[in-house]
Amino acid sequence: MKRFLSSVTDGSGFDIGLVLLPLAFLFVMSGLPLVYNVVMSFQEVDMFSLGSFARPFVGLKNYIDLFSQPETRPILLNTAIFVSASIAGQFLIGFGLALFFWVNFPGASWLRGLFLVSWVMPGLVVGAIWNWILSGDFGVLNFLLRETGAISGNIFWRSDPNYSLWAVIIANIWLGTSFNMILLSVGLSGIPKDLYEAAELDGANAFQRFWTITLPMMRSTIGAIIALGLIFTLQQFDLFAAITSGGPNNTSNVTQYWAWDLSFRQYDFAKGATISVIMIVFVMFASVVYVRSTRHEVRG
Amino acid sequence: MSDTFRNRLMFAVALVLAAIYLFPLYWMYITALKTGSAMFATPPKFWPSEPQWGIYEYVWQSRNMGRYLWNSLVIAFGAVSLIAVLGVGCAYVLARYRNIWVDVGLFLILMLQVLPASLMVTPTFVGFSQFGLLDTPRLAVILAIAAKSMPFFVVLVRATFMSVPMELEEAALVDGNSRIGAFFNIVLPLARNGILVSAILIFMQAFGEFVYSKSMIQAVELQPASVGLNSFMGPNTNEWNNIMAYATIYVTPILAAFVLLQRRIVSGLTSGALK
Amino acid sequence: MTFQIELNGVNKYYGAFHALKDINLAIEEGTFVALVGPSGCGKSTLLRSLAGLEKITAGEMKIAGQRMNDVPPRKRDVAMVFQSYALYPHMTVEENLTYSLRIRGVKKAEARKAAEEVATTTGLSHLMKRFPRELSGGQRQRVAMSRAIIRHPKAFLFDEPLSNLDAALRVHMRKEIRALHDRLHATSVYVTHDQIEAMTMADHVVVMRDGVIEQQGRPLDLYDRPANRFVAGFIGSPAMNFIPAVVGEGGADALLDFGRTRARLALAARLTPGLAVTVGIRPEHISIVAAGEGAFDIPVGIVESTGSATYVTSATQPELTVVETGRGAVKSGDVIGLSIDPKQLHVFDAETGERIGTERPPVTAASPPRLHLAEGAR
Repeated sequence: MKRFLSSVTDGSGFDIGLVLLPLAFLFVMSGLPLVYNVVMSFQEVDMFSLGSFARPFVGLKNYIDLFSQPETRPILLNTAIFVSASIAGQFLIGFGLALFFWVNFPGASWLRGLFLVSWVMPGLVVGAIWNWILSGDFGVLNFLLRETGAISGNIFWRSDPNYSLWAVIIANIWLGTSFNMILLSVGLSGIPKDLYEAAELDGANAFQRFWTITLPMMRSTIGAIIALGLIFTLQQFDLFAAITSGGPNNTSNVTQYWAWDLSFRQYDFAKGATISVIMIVFVMFASVVYVRSTRHEVRG
Repeated sequence: MSDTFRNRLMFAVALVLAAIYLFPLYWMYITALKTGSAMFATPPKFWPSEPQWGIYEYVWQSRNMGRYLWNSLVIAFGAVSLIAVLGVGCAYVLARYRNIWVDVGLFLILMLQVLPASLMVTPTFVGFSQFGLLDTPRLAVILAIAAKSMPFFVVLVRATFMSVPMELEEAALVDGNSRIGAFFNIVLPLARNGILVSAILIFMQAFGEFVYSKSMIQAVELQPASVGLNSFMGPNTNEWNNIMAYATIYVTPILAAFVLLQRRIVSGLTSGALK
Repeated sequence: MTFQIELNGVNKYYGAFHALKDINLAIEEGTFVALVGPSGCGKSTLLRSLAGLEKITAGEMKIAGQRMNDVPPRKRDVAMVFQSYALYPHMTVEENLTYSLRIRGVKKAEARKAAEEVATTTGLSHLMKRFPRELSGGQRQRVAMSRAIIRHPKAFLFDEPLSNLDAALRVHMRKEIRALHDRLHATSVYVTHDQIEAMTMADHVVVMRDGVIEQQGRPLDLYDRPANRFVAGFIGSPAMNFIPAVVGEGGADALLDFGRTRARLALAARLTPGLAVTVGIRPEHISIVAAGEGAFDIPVGIVESTGSATYVTSATQPELTVVETGRGAVKSGDVIGLSIDPKQLHVFDAETGERIGTERPPVTAASPPRLHLAEGAR
């Protein structure tokens, strides 16, 4: 007992205690649900069997059913479009802004930080604001597009099947651009200034310097940011709930919203769990990429 | 071209960019002040001619916002406290050692950080209902948010601890502290700011959390403001000025806190996400 | 006789890496010991093990006769001065000084009085309310020293405490630390990579390399009779010249191999004829004479003068460096004669690098007699 106590006050017992408690918590609250999710995806779960532990196992039935449903394919496609368009938009605009603010002028860092308000706001509020901006007859976006001559008639962003997914994408790009910009700014400021001076002496123009120094030096940062973008985009739920609810007719539905919808709107928890399993595997893959690209940080 | 001129020009362009980017926020504040007819006017007015200041009180009372915000506060405080108590020690240990176990722990934590809440909510909900946790839905949501956000907190706070020199702790040990004493007397005070900023970030996230609350809290009187806003927005609503007033009341405290602490939050955030 | 610090067969592993190999060290009370060696030699690990910040894997470690292997740092009663000073940035100078006393439950007024006393001797009295960030490098150094002094510990441990100071201040602090040590009649272990610091400050120098004690002894013993090539090259500045050589047929001289140039040099003692050796000559033990008048002649390569001394480097392979006080008349391209006293030669085995011929100096770390006298006088 004395030995144990002295290990806690002076030895590694202190560290082990500090780390074991939170890990146990995470194991119970995240690890077990993860396993339970897989178990449920092989079971039949409905409102009636929700409370019981002994539920009939149905093998791969949930998976087979899922892929034979007509809406599965379009929703997977929507997810792919949502993810790639969001990441591309956030990254390109974010990179542009980061390059602009890289030119140091008084107030640059303060103004740059201000952009981040889009990221700290609750997702549901962002969704509500964009819902109103994108509204068909009275939306301010339609007004601005008409005034500039980009469109002639109003676009019904939320209810037109051709645009509903893009309504959410626009909002999501706005939401994530600032975060991309801040991280890219950090990456840019990490490039030693004397590299550019050397390149300038070697006769490289601004464009060449960007291609031969900025981009290669930013490779690991860009990799990490794209992986992070993938992770954040696949977490995006609030905007769907606030703007389109996946409609009309699933045209703006994506897997992460669909999984929730199946569980909590249609009470088909087994199907919800099945989609979750598939998507979690995918997200884990993305996070491995992220961890690998920030490995130099991990080593500290 | 002189430097001052260039600086002013850049600043002006930056202001314009910021104005464009933050327009949605402006639109929220402006719409809330408009009358019903001004809101649907074509062309829309970009400055309210007769601002309706009474709308805030009206929305506050009619939507019972006090109760919603109180629930949001309870959930956010609960989650942040739980995360801070459990996460600080974990982050400290992960910052102090360099070995294979730390790398494994760090990897697991980064993995947990990326699990989307909307996918984890299904097994969590079913599990919680089986163990009767849904009878205390706010506690259930606090636990779920803590599990979801703790990894992020640990990553941020770990970066803070890594900036506290190891020698200071060793000096304290030689000076006569136990490990516990050195941790509380030396390491914790020096990491205080970083921990505080990380906690504020987590608080902001938890304050706006939606998925878990929406799924687990059925009773209206226990729901947080995000769920309240969601039920305010029916599919064919035309109360946009009221909704924007609701949104204004909801986010203004968060935005004020952010603008005040901006520099610290931004640097804390970036040091954790990448180096 | 009991020693203040005693290490018997101490070993330390980091995983598979063997950081300390069979360290034996015995330090009498009042001795100033310097641990010196290139970076990565294990000197800091040894010091940190003494403090209890590292756990040793095998062997025994005693402080004031007590076994310390499993005793946590706080119960060892040693004080440490860190390279980075490790001043608590959120505490004033006074709080930094009194911290260790407050932890031990010393009354506030008493701790403050002790701090005042120490601050007076170290010249910090006017800085007590300042924070570390408001101090200059030298002042921080003093606070770190004072923080160690205030406790009257069984031993002082210094981890390269001067390496963050500029050259002039370093020379000054060297003397100050040594004076402090003498006044407190303390036992000090001082880690440094600078052999001049070790030579000038310590009563007993321990030279380490790759986790092994290469040699230990009084500073001038190490200079006069280095146990091997490594110590010979490490101690002394500019570094000793090493020339490959073969012992001549009679065993009384050595044939030095400078590539194209060869030279014959008399030895002080007889060695086995034909033995391959390395001859070491300190630059300050060679004098320049006219060509043909010394032991051998050599062409001059580079001549550098600092004003007070002239460094002449030969145009041979390997190079030979000669130090002359004052300004020599030698120019690059000259041929000069060199005169060398055979007693100043060091001969090492060509393969093992071990010293050949002379006995090794004693190894216990004892303070010089003057310290014992000082104790007796008190």
